[in-house]
Formats: sequence, structure tokens, C-alpha cells
Amino acid sequence: MARLRLLALALLLLLAQQLIVALLPAWARPDLLLVFALALGLRARATESLILAFGVGFALDAMSGAPAGLYALLRGTACAATRLVDRALFLRAALPWLLFAGVYAIVDGLLLGGLMRLFAPASALGWLDVVARQLGTAVATAVVALPVLYAVTRADGESDADGTVPLMGSRS
Amino acid sequence: MSELVRRFRYPLTYLVLASFSIIGLASRPEPAELGIAPRLVLDATAPLERMVVLPVSAARSLWNDYLALVGVRHENQRLREELLRLREENLQYREAIVASERFQRLADFRSAREVPMVPANVIAHDVSPWFRSIVIDQGTSSGIRPGMPVITDEGVVGLVAGTTPGASKVLLVTDPQSRVDAFVQRTRARGSVRGRSIAACEFEYVLRDGDIRTGDLLVTSGLDAVYPKGLIVGLVADTKREPYGLFQRAQIEPSVDFGTLEEVFVLLDRKELPSEAEFASSVADLWSEPDADHVASSDLPAD
Repeated sequence: MARLRLLALALLLLLAQQLIVALLPAWARPDLLLVFALALGLRARATESLILAFGVGFALDAMSGAPAGLYALLRGTACAATRLVDRALFLRAALPWLLFAGVYAIVDGLLLGGLMRLFAPASALGWLDVVARQLGTAVATAVVALPVLYAVTRADGESDADGTVPLMGSRS
Repeated sequence: MSELVRRFRYPLTYLVLASFSIIGLASRPEPAELGIAPRLVLDATAPLERMVVLPVSAARSLWNDYLALVGVRHENQRLREELLRLREENLQYREAIVASERFQRLADFRSAREVPMVPANVIAHDVSPWFRSIVIDQGTSSGIRPGMPVITDEGVVGLVAGTTPGASKVLLVTDPQSRVDAFVQRTRARGSVRGRSIAACEFEYVLRDGDIRTGDLLVTSGLDAVYPKGLIVGLVADTKREPYGLFQRAQIEPSVDFGTLEEVFVLLDRKELPSEAEFASSVADLWSEPDADHVASSDLPAD
């Protein structure tokens, strides 16, 4: 059930992102699905979360004009990076989490810029351009980081009551 | 062995999935019909996205048409003045039209048939902040194929990048992967319009001595074998000429307002480049020596 709830949450966030695109200017748009992928990195079922993060990225690739595989790689990497960083820093408190989400939004932009430079150099954007435009997104992403983490925790953790899936916080 | 796999399950999974993603990235296919998995995703999410976007467009339309009328009086006055100026300009154009009718007849003779179009509604915009694409509600069942140009009455929108039977993904001209061969209507200075994933585009590879000014109109040249010649691309917003280099650049404001785009037309007649074999044979014909047996006697110099 937790898996289904997480899938439903991913779909809901995808639609919310669509609504955000229609309503907010580009510099003020949070990246909800990035936060979702980051939050998956905190789940106890690590491999399953990684596959889900790649899946969400694949859906983004299919729906956007991005080259195939770009967002799959970025979202999967975001999930894996959270897991790595969480071993060194405690990301589960509010302030570290929103700081991490904000900083990672910029890293995500830089990774995207690097991958575009590597695989589609003719379409690559300038580094300064990427950072300048990602700053606003980073702030907006940090603002929504906590509610999205809460939503992921709820979707994942409700099944804890019947003991099927461990709560976020323990590691496999 | 199984213990080893179990131990390194997480990094192994990451490596496998990342490899698939990188293979996808490296292959960078031409616009084509989407595969089964992306088609399923697009077909499943397109109706949901439409449900989300429709109320927003309705609310925006209500706001623009009924509520946001502050300053209409001032604008009315300005428009009246502009109308007078345009009437005068219109008279001059009428004269020009008479002169160009003869040329038009010649042009019509050359392009005997009209390009068939399919109207389509925009059902979703790109959720990524870095790429610019839209999803339209017509697909292969309406005759749409990848690579077909998409336009509106305002100008060039983009080209079809992927299709399913009921929907198509359109890469906008503002996407960084998009290129449109165009020229300045006034001076015919030619270059390539490149998207920058923001509202403006860039006009690149224009020869340094090309005459470009702010306000110039840019139209498609038809030389990219995608867009027909003469479609409006946008206006020159700013020019940039470095003290060195062969080329100059200009910033272009696209003629289409992509933020409020609701209906588009897909041109069904996609121009095809000649195949490599056709091209090679035509080039060979061009440079081949004339056959002595077939040279007409009239071509030979008189004794």
C-alpha cells in the first residue's frame, strides 16, 4: 500500500508542478519532484526508493522536452546523493533538510548544465545563466521542502501502523 | 556471490539504472514516434494535466477579459492614435499590393497547392524549468508525424518532437535544442534562431556586415527543410556585435506568446531533405563530363 500511496503522491506532485508552471513565473517555481526524489533518499527501503526516483525522472523525460534519460539520471542521482549525505549529516530535522533541498536544487541545475554540455553541447546553457536562474528555484524549493517531506513521510509511514514498512529513520 | 550482490545491491542498482539513462542521453534520437513506455506515461497524464490547466486558463481569461480593465481608457486613446497612423500606412501598402500582385501570380504558379493543416489544442506545458515544450491533443490518428512544423496565426511555434495516437509533444522555438533558419525581412541578413529556454531567443551566425536593427522582423528562410519560407519568427529586441569575430548576434522576441498559447496548427506537409543516395546522384550528375555521343551537333563550334 505504501508503494501505491507514494506513486499516487508522485502523480499528485506532477500535477501540482503543472499548476505551478501555469501560475508562477519561472524564477519562483519550486521543483516539487526534485524534493520528492530527495525525500525518497531518506526512506528505509533504499533500492526500491532509488528505482522509484529513476521512474519519476523517466516520467518527467517523457512529459517534457528534455533528452531521454536526463531527468531519470538526475532524479536517481538526487535520491542516491541524499542517502550518502544523510550518513554524514542528519537531514531529518527541519533546518538541515530545507537547507539541503535548497543547495541541492543549485547542484541539480549544475548537473543538468554539465550533462547537457556533455551530451548536447549545442543546446547547453552558460554556467552563469544556469546558476542565476536556479537561485530563485532553490529558494522556492527550500520553502516547499518540508511539506513535501511530510507528505512523503505520511505516504510511506502510515503503513507503519500495521507494521509492514519501517518508518523513515531506520536503514536497511 | 549472492551475499556480495546483496551487499552492493544499492550501488549496483544505481549503476544499472544510470547506465540506461546515459545510453538514452547518448543516443539522442531524431524526432520520432514515442516508444511504448513514454507513450503510456504521456497518454495517461495528458488528460489529467488538461484537467489541471483548464480551470487556470478559465480563471486567467475571466481576469483578463472582465476584471483587469484598469487603464483601458488610456489605452483606447493610444489605440485611436495608432489607428489613424495605421490607416495612412494602409494606403501605402495598398499601392504596394497592386504592384506585387503580378509577382504573387508567379509565386502561386510555383506553389500550386496549399499546405494542409491540423488544428490542435494545447493541453499541457513543460514542467521542466530548463526545456520548453507543449503537449497538444492531436496525434498520429490525425496524420501528425514527428518533425512536422507547428504554427499559429502569430508565427512559428516549434516542431513535433514525439507523437502518440492521441497527443503530440511539440518542441518550442524557445527550447535550447531548437534551431530555426531565418532571415531579417528588411535586409535578408540570414542566421539561425536558437532557443535559450527563456522568453527570448538568440539570432546567431549572422555575418558581421549583415544589417540588423532593433525592431526588424525575422521570418523563416525555408532552408532548414522544416519550416516553410516566410513564417514570422519574431522581432529583433537587441543587437550585439563584438569588436572581433566573423559573426554578430541579436536577441529576438518571439512573435508568439507561449505563455498564453491555447490553439496551434500543425503543418502536415513536412519538407523532406533528399536522401543521401539522391543527393549523391544529383551531385554526380552536376559534375559529370558530358557524354561525347550525346553532345548535339549544334553545340559544336562551327568550322
